[in-house]
Amino acid sequence: MSAHNRPAADAPLDLSRWRKVPNLLIGAGGLLAVIGWIVDAQQFGYSWLLAYMFYLSFGLGALFLVLVHHLFDASWSVPIRRVVEHMACLAGPVMALLFIPNAVLAPKIYEWMRRLQTGEIDHSLHAKQALFNVPMFYVTAVVCFVIWFVLSNRLRYWSLRQDETGSAECTYKMRFYSFWGIWAFALTLTLAAIMWMKALQHEWFSTMYGVWYFAASVWVALPTVYLIAVILKRQGPLRDVVQEKQIYFIGSLMLAFTVFWAYISFGQYFIIWNANIPEETFWYVLREKGTWWDVSMIIIFFHFFLPFLMLLRIDWKLKLTIMIPLCAWGWLMHFFDVAFNILPAGRPAGYSLNWAWLDLGCLAFIGGLLTKVFLKNLNAHPAFPQKDPRLAEGLDIYVPPASAGEAAASHGGAK
Amino acid sequence: MRAAETIRDAGFKKWDVFTPYPMHGLDKAMGMKSSKVGWFSFIGGVTGFTLGNLMIWWMNAYDYAIPIGGKPMYSPFSAFPPSYELTILLGSFGALLGMLFLNRLPRLHHPLLKHRRFALASHDKFFVVIETADPKYSETETRKLLESAGSRQVEVVEE
Repeated sequence: MSAHNRPAADAPLDLSRWRKVPNLLIGAGGLLAVIGWIVDAQQFGYSWLLAYMFYLSFGLGALFLVLVHHLFDASWSVPIRRVVEHMACLAGPVMALLFIPNAVLAPKIYEWMRRLQTGEIDHSLHAKQALFNVPMFYVTAVVCFVIWFVLSNRLRYWSLRQDETGSAECTYKMRFYSFWGIWAFALTLTLAAIMWMKALQHEWFSTMYGVWYFAASVWVALPTVYLIAVILKRQGPLRDVVQEKQIYFIGSLMLAFTVFWAYISFGQYFIIWNANIPEETFWYVLREKGTWWDVSMIIIFFHFFLPFLMLLRIDWKLKLTIMIPLCAWGWLMHFFDVAFNILPAGRPAGYSLNWAWLDLGCLAFIGGLLTKVFLKNLNAHPAFPQKDPRLAEGLDIYVPPASAGEAAASHGGAK
Repeated sequence: MRAAETIRDAGFKKWDVFTPYPMHGLDKAMGMKSSKVGWFSFIGGVTGFTLGNLMIWWMNAYDYAIPIGGKPMYSPFSAFPPSYELTILLGSFGALLGMLFLNRLPRLHHPLLKHRRFALASHDKFFVVIETADPKYSETETRKLLESAGSRQVEVVEE
């Protein structure tokens, strides 16, 4: 409705100059990554894991958004669902391939693997050996990737199928995948966070850790969806279907997950701080040394307070001059957050600028590759679910109930 | 809806629309800005958070310091949960009182409530009410405006 009140839509931006960027990122980043691997395989392992976990959260966060969309039978999010489905599919095959360096370098970066090899098994490793042994490391990885692949790709398959047939069966199928998917998602995401990140310091334990990674993932996926939706609206494919409502709701979810992320992160810290047991506090003590202290302050004030206070205002969630920088800021803060969790294990002195080139190289390589895959998928299929039964409802178009068959036809107005 | 737009464009300030069911887009047609209640709850929340921290610092570290287990007398971490609770409490007080204040409530009576036909606003009739206190109000002009906006019946409600 509001789209019609607006003056003529802004002309699409000329993005052709940016077309080469993913290839450049892959080339330059790949080169730096290879050099890094040759120079210092262990430090490369940390940098790669950092970039890997950073990007994995985009895919998993998006997968969660698709799952809840179906679980709540939502209508407002139909127009942005295709974009989110493509993002979720990144967690499937691509991220599995990119896991190879992690799998190869695991003995170099996980201290528990080294201890297993040398036989210096400490008490905590002994107690956790059911999970922390070499076969289990690879088995859990395979299980995670199979589940993410099946979930994200099946959900997209049925969604694309509905574009052609428009049949309600597809919606039921997607709901079925979401019903078991949300459980499988929670378990695999927690496993991944434990096996790949928390295991860097295997003595530590925190029951919040999986939830923390989940909250951080959705928190970073939302600004990404926001940006993509706004860009595709400007460029045309989503011009009429992404309305103020969709953009505002993504903004509201960002606010909600800013608070949720802060709650989880603070809760984890607070309980460990309050209990004051050395088996737990050492993890934070390490992160209060060197420049990690500054990173933690940046995270508190600029990962939480700044976005929180900015997103409180109703009208700011729609103001692109505020939201676009804030979304990009969200990526930077998420990078700090993941770095704060991963890097102190290998670089205890603080965030090391000496290795920044390697961090950036790995980030550029994976980022470029994922962007390329995402754009290829986006261009290969319609930009939003064409015949979803909830599409008209999501756009506030009234379709008389008796003519269910004509519901699809009324989408002509939404083209 | 169109009547609301007409009256909005005519520049009236003290007027209201009554409909038997919620109508999407009516606030826009009436030219209403988004509510200021948020500011009241925000100020309430900030006050709560500050007061909470201040209270805990004053009680635990200043007025009657109790050393426990070598922990700092005052720490923002241990003070956070109660301060947070106070943030929520005063934030919601701010929202409630701000809403009442902005709506000029409590108000015991309004002449409209005595008007017989007005009860139909919760049944099947639509009302546009312009108060005589509005600076643009004039008995004849406003009547004309309402008639041109398509109203079936125009009445002056008196105290």
